[in-house]
Amino acid sequence: MATPADKRHIAAPTATLAIIAAVLTVGLVTFANLTRDRIARNQQVWIKQHLDALVPPKSYDNDPLVDITEVMAPDLLGAATPIIAYRMRKAGLPVAVALRPVAPDGYRGPIELLVAIAPGGQLLGVQVIRHNETPGLGDAFENRDAGWLGEFRGLSLTKPPQQRWTVRRDGGDFDAFTGATITPRAIVKAVRRTLEFYQGNEDRLYQDGKPQ
Amino acid sequence: MSVPSPNESIEGLSVRPGAASNLPPPPARHRAFGSTLQLLALCPLLAVSDTVVKALGFSTLVLVIFPLATLLLSALRRWLADSIVLPASLLVTAGLVTAAELFMRAWFHDLGASFGVFLPLVAVNIVVIDHIQARDVSRGTALIRSVRIALGIALTLIALGFARELVGRGSLLSGAATLFGNWGEHLEIKVFSVDMGFLLAMLPPGAFISLGLLIAVRNWIASRNPTAS
Repeated sequence: MATPADKRHIAAPTATLAIIAAVLTVGLVTFANLTRDRIARNQQVWIKQHLDALVPPKSYDNDPLVDITEVMAPDLLGAATPIIAYRMRKAGLPVAVALRPVAPDGYRGPIELLVAIAPGGQLLGVQVIRHNETPGLGDAFENRDAGWLGEFRGLSLTKPPQQRWTVRRDGGDFDAFTGATITPRAIVKAVRRTLEFYQGNEDRLYQDGKPQ
Repeated sequence: MSVPSPNESIEGLSVRPGAASNLPPPPARHRAFGSTLQLLALCPLLAVSDTVVKALGFSTLVLVIFPLATLLLSALRRWLADSIVLPASLLVTAGLVTAAELFMRAWFHDLGASFGVFLPLVAVNIVVIDHIQARDVSRGTALIRSVRIALGIALTLIALGFARELVGRGSLLSGAATLFGNWGEHLEIKVFSVDMGFLLAMLPPGAFISLGLLIAVRNWIASRNPTAS
């Protein structure tokens, strides 16, 4: 049975902790509000750089960072959370959709991709936007094999045929990097699944929440 | 049989030397204990020492956060009952580190992203080091001590950054633009060109091997010159 003295003994320190927590919360919320716009802008700049590398900005006249929609397909797009799709249009006509799927089976965790697809299902290109692959081996697409991601350009679900949509070691058409098979295998698989998702959802991707 | 009050039981578990008994610990042991713990506290931070730029950026943060945390904690200590010193220091350092993360995301987006989980981990290091320090030192002494610890961490990270980037990539200051802005692009020095680099230096084990070599050098110097250690 707690005596009144024990209660005081607990109450005072608890109050002190609560005050510290409250002051810190107010401070952090204020700082978060001050930096929110800047952080959002940084993220937009970051994704725009990747987008520009895939689709020439001159080929569309809308703002793909605003003209977005979200799609859910954990099996095909690799994430249990909604995936963002950036839409690019010229004079209202579709130019490209860029999806942000995840390759869940990277060597060291998920690999986040940006996959741009032209109407009809042809790949405009693939970018890796976030990954934890082993430096020097699994991240070869960033330096040593910088051209590797470029090989996706122009491919589609029928080119190469579906059974060859994998790395050479598994009987497919795609090279692996020296010393790393798991990373390229994961990326190739994720890109193919993204194309499969696109095939069944093309209309929806362009129409959903289309700005008037 | 008496049940210990909450206060006593917490004091009994304390790792703070001298807190459990009135006897101060032997100075030599204290020093060894402190430096071993410092070394352990440094280990999680080694991950950011694979390039000079990352090491420089991270060191700057450590040099700011560490003394700031010490100042705040020593200012607060007078209002803190012994039983809540630890949770209070956790709260304060976690708050500081969160602010530092927001700052990085707002002004050094790419560099901050490369720190990943290791920036939040600084909070743990500060709490550990703060917790093993003797409580009865003046604010000035505590501040000087934390600056010295932060400097030690910073110099170690930068030295490792130089060694690992040079051996692993053959470059120095690669990615300087993430720290210094656009003019930093011209700062990168390509010392020699490598196809794959010396991978081991870039991977986490390389950090531990380099740290081991660094400690070996320090011990060698100390053994040649025993009075100056």
